[in-house]
Amino acid sequence: MKKKAIGHAGWLWTGLASVVAFIYFFPVLFIILTAFRSRSDTLATPPKWFFTPTFENFYHIFFRAMANSTEYVSTGFHVYFFNSIYISGMSVLLALLIGTLAAYGFSRHPLRGNDTYLFIILTTRMLPPIIVIVPIFLIFRITGLAGTYTGIILMYTAFNLPFSIWMMKSFFDELNTEIEDASRMDGASERSVFFGVCIPQVKAGLAATSVFALILTWNEFLFSLLLTNKLTRTMPPAMARTIGGEINVDYGLLAAMICLFIIPIFLITYLLQNQLLRGVTFGTIKK
Amino acid sequence: MSTIELQKLTKEFGELTAVNNVSLKVEENEVLCLLGPSGCGKTTTLRMVAGLEVATSGDILIGNNNVNNLDTRDRNLAMAFQFYALYPSLTVAENLANPLHAENLSDDEIKKKIFEVADILQLKDIVNRKPHQLAEGEKQRVAVGRAIIRDPQCFLFDEPLSRLDVQLREQMRGQIKEVLSDLKKATVIVTHDQLEALTMATKIAVMRDGFIEQISTPHDIFAKPNNTFVAGFIGTPQMNILDCNIIEINSSIIKINTLGQEVNVDFKNPLNVNTNESYFLGIRPRSFEIVDNNDSDNFSGTIDLIENMGSEILVHVKINESTFRSVLSRSHKLKIGDSINLKPKIGQVHLFNKDGKVIRDE
Repeated sequence: MKKKAIGHAGWLWTGLASVVAFIYFFPVLFIILTAFRSRSDTLATPPKWFFTPTFENFYHIFFRAMANSTEYVSTGFHVYFFNSIYISGMSVLLALLIGTLAAYGFSRHPLRGNDTYLFIILTTRMLPPIIVIVPIFLIFRITGLAGTYTGIILMYTAFNLPFSIWMMKSFFDELNTEIEDASRMDGASERSVFFGVCIPQVKAGLAATSVFALILTWNEFLFSLLLTNKLTRTMPPAMARTIGGEINVDYGLLAAMICLFIIPIFLITYLLQNQLLRGVTFGTIKK
Repeated sequence: MSTIELQKLTKEFGELTAVNNVSLKVEENEVLCLLGPSGCGKTTTLRMVAGLEVATSGDILIGNNNVNNLDTRDRNLAMAFQFYALYPSLTVAENLANPLHAENLSDDEIKKKIFEVADILQLKDIVNRKPHQLAEGEKQRVAVGRAIIRDPQCFLFDEPLSRLDVQLREQMRGQIKEVLSDLKKATVIVTHDQLEALTMATKIAVMRDGFIEQISTPHDIFAKPNNTFVAGFIGTPQMNILDCNIIEINSSIIKINTLGQEVNVDFKNPLNVNTNESYFLGIRPRSFEIVDNNDSDNFSGTIDLIENMGSEILVHVKINESTFRSVLSRSHKLKIGDSINLKPKIGQVHLFNKDGKVIRDE
């Protein structure tokens, strides 16, 4: 099908839009450039825009020189990277699974006081996490969940659920329930109505919900800082720990870490962008 | 046997009683139309028959078996939906085939059935298209096709024609009627369009606020309405319903006072009414004939407004600050301000008591 032109913006508007886009992108660009600068180039004032790119920062993420020696030892950063992927991935999947089932229930089989339950679910997201961190920390200590994958995955799942339920519910609400009734008339069981009829129609919603949940989890700092240990730590607190020490802040190292850190989320968002666009504009372009 | 019977069926949504004590029976080969304004409970009734809604109380019998506790898929019914409910990602042929999957047919048998249905409903050229590539009328035919492709016990149609434009609706009405008469099954059609009901049904149930007001043949619903609601709901333009007082009874001829005029109305048969009591007089706009002289058996007033309806004209007649409406042939050369004498046709006048109930011949 031919793409329809919505309107022809003049050069002026196009130019203005690129300027705004550039302003948004500038911090990211600066980080990327810093990642490839040598230590002396990083600290130069005014900033050096032309320099010889180096990969030494990336090398130092994984291997660090020992004090008073030329020997390099592993920093264990690959573990944190894996932890981030594993913990975010698992908790987003779990939140999506539970959230979708709950949302379908809320949408199709409303309980007495349905809206109240939905509201209560959302209240957990109305206060800053720092307020609940002490009781949660104690619970984790007592139950032995502190420092375990299970613990932090459960924490993030609970963290993502309200959002997933609300978002998926709105997608189920938008569907034409006649199609579900029709498939019941055609002999479908409730399970095949859900998996065969509803889920395929909310694919865009699943994509949008998972990307948003993934971004939230991927960047989460506080819970990970307090509820994980050396073996289960995720990237954000691990990166924070490189700040300080005898060399203060190693900006080049930090920038290189950030570059690696945004790659997975960048890829996933890019792969899902078509679904995502349909997902976030769902209500407005239907029918 | 293909019958549908409802016994004291009631559905409550919290405080609201959507369907109230509804009892009716649809025999084999009969097409029942549930007719009523929106929100009267007709669709809820249909959905309860289909098993998509659970009744609060009462029984549903399909083929003389109580199906209260059966799931939708075990009731062996077919239904066409108002918004067609076609699977957006499947082609027309796949949509048609979907109801057959539960029946364990071979591919050849499925193909044969699709071909048959496509033939009946003229869908052959579009079997490979997807729903979004279809026109409204085609979607509607696919929805009907999906309902008739199986051989279920009974058929249910929910506002099947409401989304079509007037021309297409007229055409489809005939087609559906033809298809239904070949199927020889008990069928329930829900509609708010009286013309649809009057043309397609063998029996009409008029509903209001969850109650059935009258169940009769299309002819009787029109000619012998049970109450003022049915009288006003069926027939366009609406029946004139006027306050009246009875002055004198002389067998079938009753002298009444309405709109400040005393008129002798011939009811064809004597009615059980009393003098000096108030009633409602119901006369359809088409039940008047125009007469030359002002006599004791006609209304005389002045023309307030004339609406052109094509082959006929709708005349608003004003008598003592009140108006009623009459449909007359356009051959009468009338203009606003003319005085006019109208005589009700014998036997086409209805009398209702103050509760709105009709008073029948004795």
